Amino acid sequence: MADLYPSLAQCAVVAAAFKVLLFPAYKSTDFEVHRNWLAITHSLPIQEWYYEKSSEWTLDYPPFFAAFEWLMSQAAAYADPAMLVVNNLGYESWQTVYFQRATVILTELVLVYALSRFVKSVPLPNKQAAHVASLSILLSPGLLIIDHIHFQYNGFMYGILILSIVLARKQSTLLYSGILFAVLLCMKHIYLYLALAYFVYLLRTYCLSLKSIFRPRFGNIFKLGFCVVGVFAIAFGPFAQWGQLLQLKDRLFPFSRGLCHAYWAPNIWAMYSFADRVLISLAPRLGLPVNAEALNSVTRGLVGDTSFAVLPEVTKEHTFILTFLFQLVPLIKVWFNPGCWDTFVGAITLCGYASFLFGWHVHEKAILLIIIPFSLIALKDRRYFSAFRPLAVAGHVSLFPLLFTAAEFPLKTIYTVMWLVLFLFVFDRIAPVPERPRIFLFDRLSLLYLAISIPLIIYCSLGHQLIFGWDRLEFLPLMFMSSYCALGVVGSWVGFMVVYFTA
Amino acid sequence: MAPPTPSSHRPRKKRKIATSPSSNNNLILDLGEGKQSPAFPLVSFLWAARAGVSQWLILPLVLMAVGLFRWAVSLWGYSGFRVPPMHGDFEAQRHWMEITTHLPLAKWHIYDLQYWGLDYPPLTAYHSWLLGKIGSAFDPSWFALDASRGFEDPRLKVYMRATVVVSEYFVFIPAVVNFLRRYTRMQGVHAWSASIALVAVLLQPANILIDHGHFQYNTVMLGLVVASLDAILAGRMLWACIFFVGALGFKQMALYYAPVMFAYLLGVCTFPRINIPRLISIALVTLASFALLLAPVMMNKDSVTYGLLFQLTQIIHRVFPFARGLFEDKVANAWCAIHTFYKLTRFDATLLQRASLGATLASIIVPCAIIFRHPRASLLLPALSAVSWGFFLFSFQVHEKSVLLPLLPMTLLLAGNGGLSKETRAWVGWANMLGSWTMYPLLKRDELRVPYIVMTLLWAYILGLPPTSFETYRSRPSVEDSNTHFEPSTLTTLLHFGFHLAMIAWHVLEAFVAPPPGKPDLWVVLNALIGAGGFGIAYLWCMWKLYTQCRQISRQVTEEESQKKKQ
Repeated sequence: MADLYPSLAQCAVVAAAFKVLLFPAYKSTDFEVHRNWLAITHSLPIQEWYYEKSSEWTLDYPPFFAAFEWLMSQAAAYADPAMLVVNNLGYESWQTVYFQRATVILTELVLVYALSRFVKSVPLPNKQAAHVASLSILLSPGLLIIDHIHFQYNGFMYGILILSIVLARKQSTLLYSGILFAVLLCMKHIYLYLALAYFVYLLRTYCLSLKSIFRPRFGNIFKLGFCVVGVFAIAFGPFAQWGQLLQLKDRLFPFSRGLCHAYWAPNIWAMYSFADRVLISLAPRLGLPVNAEALNSVTRGLVGDTSFAVLPEVTKEHTFILTFLFQLVPLIKVWFNPGCWDTFVGAITLCGYASFLFGWHVHEKAILLIIIPFSLIALKDRRYFSAFRPLAVAGHVSLFPLLFTAAEFPLKTIYTVMWLVLFLFVFDRIAPVPERPRIFLFDRLSLLYLAISIPLIIYCSLGHQLIFGWDRLEFLPLMFMSSYCALGVVGSWVGFMVVYFTA
Repeated sequence: MAPPTPSSHRPRKKRKIATSPSSNNNLILDLGEGKQSPAFPLVSFLWAARAGVSQWLILPLVLMAVGLFRWAVSLWGYSGFRVPPMHGDFEAQRHWMEITTHLPLAKWHIYDLQYWGLDYPPLTAYHSWLLGKIGSAFDPSWFALDASRGFEDPRLKVYMRATVVVSEYFVFIPAVVNFLRRYTRMQGVHAWSASIALVAVLLQPANILIDHGHFQYNTVMLGLVVASLDAILAGRMLWACIFFVGALGFKQMALYYAPVMFAYLLGVCTFPRINIPRLISIALVTLASFALLLAPVMMNKDSVTYGLLFQLTQIIHRVFPFARGLFEDKVANAWCAIHTFYKLTRFDATLLQRASLGATLASIIVPCAIIFRHPRASLLLPALSAVSWGFFLFSFQVHEKSVLLPLLPMTLLLAGNGGLSKETRAWVGWANMLGSWTMYPLLKRDELRVPYIVMTLLWAYILGLPPTSFETYRSRPSVEDSNTHFEPSTLTTLLHFGFHLAMIAWHVLEAFVAPPPGKPDLWVVLNALIGAGGFGIAYLWCMWKLYTQCRQISRQVTEEESQKKKQ
């Protein structure tokens, strides 16, 4: 018999206690962003939601999220009506802080529910592994750092995503899975990155016969099409009616931003930028032409165009093509394995990888797009787990620069180290031996990689300041950090590709 | 006892091991059909470790987890934040760092006494000096002489909070870990339930709220006391003396424990046969460590002008403020309770002092006598709790924070044989909840309401205590039968329910009902009255515990002797 202790509810209680204690912790501008949205949705008519710009943090999430904010603003009026005034920029009374922080904790119950559904959906022999995986998601340092300190509502939305993934497990609930994913897209469009996997999976498994692709199931096609179109119509229909769709497009997809975010998310472009930096110093010896204009921009690393001094420029089109190509590759397998849930989750993970690694202006927070779906299948066997391990380390360490204040330093490092020690140990015990022999290629390298993280974190958080002082070469630790993490994410991507296609 | 059995890969054997660690603690409930469930949530959190996972894994995880809670509490307010001109304990500690780093030793205890004069013994002063030196390396303006008074900066707060955590992790935590390891081994408690007790002790809400919320360094003193107890368990009496002198030298409050330590050490030298060399060496080591502690203050060239004795009397005078009244503020002890109904101010101060001395002596004489006659290490915890409850209830100038002293040995009882059983857990949990509750008026002043609610409820939750669960008061079939005496009696249940209800009702009153005009302190007084009653009961329970344990031990001894005679 599998022992499912501690239960999800018990962990949720203790975690919630800890999160309540974090109320006074550092909060980023996202806190003000969400307060502003509460104010906009509460005090303005819907037609003005996407035109209001008193604050620089305009509403740039899709309509369902705005509706979600409106719903919360109804309760917020009882906590402190002053936070609902549009012109009250930067307002943060303790009632506001308590209220907004509490909504993050409460809406995370969706995640707890989704995870409990996930554990229930797994057959008995794998139940314990599923339980451990869901605990790892519930207690994820990523969610703690991003949601409960930095401030966002990812726990809630990943809850919906997981629920939708769990519903995709059975033919009978596939339709609901599709609807739920459509709803999720109308809350936060970042999940468009995973949409291709859903499209191919639903098309192949739900709309076509499992036996042959030449026998479409028209009833299912109609149902799914009707529902998905219906969801989008509810979300965007009113705005189309008012002729605001172009404005919405501009708000949701601000393409004026640069290739890399202020702090490079650990992806291919971080490595590319790092290579460029190295080449700048080598250029005179190698006789390469250096673009003098670009020299300053890279070091400053502000939001804006990161132009390259030596390497060729990267355009949006390049990143789109690369993302699309690398998303298509895993989908081939989904197409030829209809109804295989594990393949589907693997494909979601790989779509997350492709968009994170090659996307335009990727945030470091988007790493959750990979880690959370991957956690659901990381315990399938040891090969999956060994691909997951570097991702778990690199992905979470890469979130550290989000919190730069002294008081939060112990929180983020100790919590992450604790999570890594606990779950990597438990995963290691639980993950079953694979049916196929493993390729012992990266194991030693992976161990070395994990070991490097410790001196690196110490250098970046303390050593650098001791050696160079507070304000010299500030970009150096960040660059090391993102290049190091990029290596881990790319390494785990390659490793998982191999596992995915050989499984 | 045997070392923990290594884990096995065969599931059938695993289950067999799973039942064994529950001896006397009833940690595992039997649901029938071979199904088992943890008795309370904390057991559940360590469920996976019951088959004997290495301490090298469990201990770091536990220490990280409890550290996170400490640090999270420390994000909240502290005593005296934005309350000029005097601020509070945070400013006092910072001020001591300021004066110790800038003034010669001789002036430490006499510098500007009106503004937080240093009124703690020398070890605190040395500790402040060290922390002040380190802090000045970060930013000298934090501790600039006179100029830094009332300095409030987020980075200073982080530094000060970090010093509390680091001090605790250097003193209290190693002491508790070592003590619990030795104590549980001595009591024949399995390593798994020892880990559970460790988490319970380290998450004790009162300690965390006062040290990391209100701001003090109590855990250093408490840690030295626990280190002293650990040395006693290990049979190293001289080290016990050194650690205990250290505790006294850090905070005079350790005197609450002194009678028991004295009686124990004297008892060890007297029974079973008088051991003069041991007595002499204990006395010498104690004197030597006191001398060592005071030497830097007394013997430096500046103090020639003041004279050795003047220094000593200054320290003693500063450290023991007999000049102040019988009690300060509203504290949940006997004097404050009596004063509510029968004004004690009508009596002369010296009379009150004598009465207080007499009552304290009367309350501690019995436990001290028992410890002296039966100097057994296993009796130390109940004796220490009883004596410090006696001090808390009857002695002079008690602060509400002093409740940490009786709570510590009482909470350590969780690690003993049967310590996690329903009965002991109910009592220890109840006393801790009550102790934290009596500090609520203080915590409320420091803007620590939310941490108070979270930490107390969390502790109650993980230990399965009211108000989150009433499981401890319900009898259920457990894996082992014949454990009925480990369950709370009806009287206990009624008593605890009464107090828990009173505490909840008080919180409701305090939050929603304004006190009647003319009696603005009514709720605080009510809190102190209920608290005093509860602490009196806690005192009696510790006495009872001491008495029963003592009887049990002497019965065992006589049985062993009679068996030997038969052979």
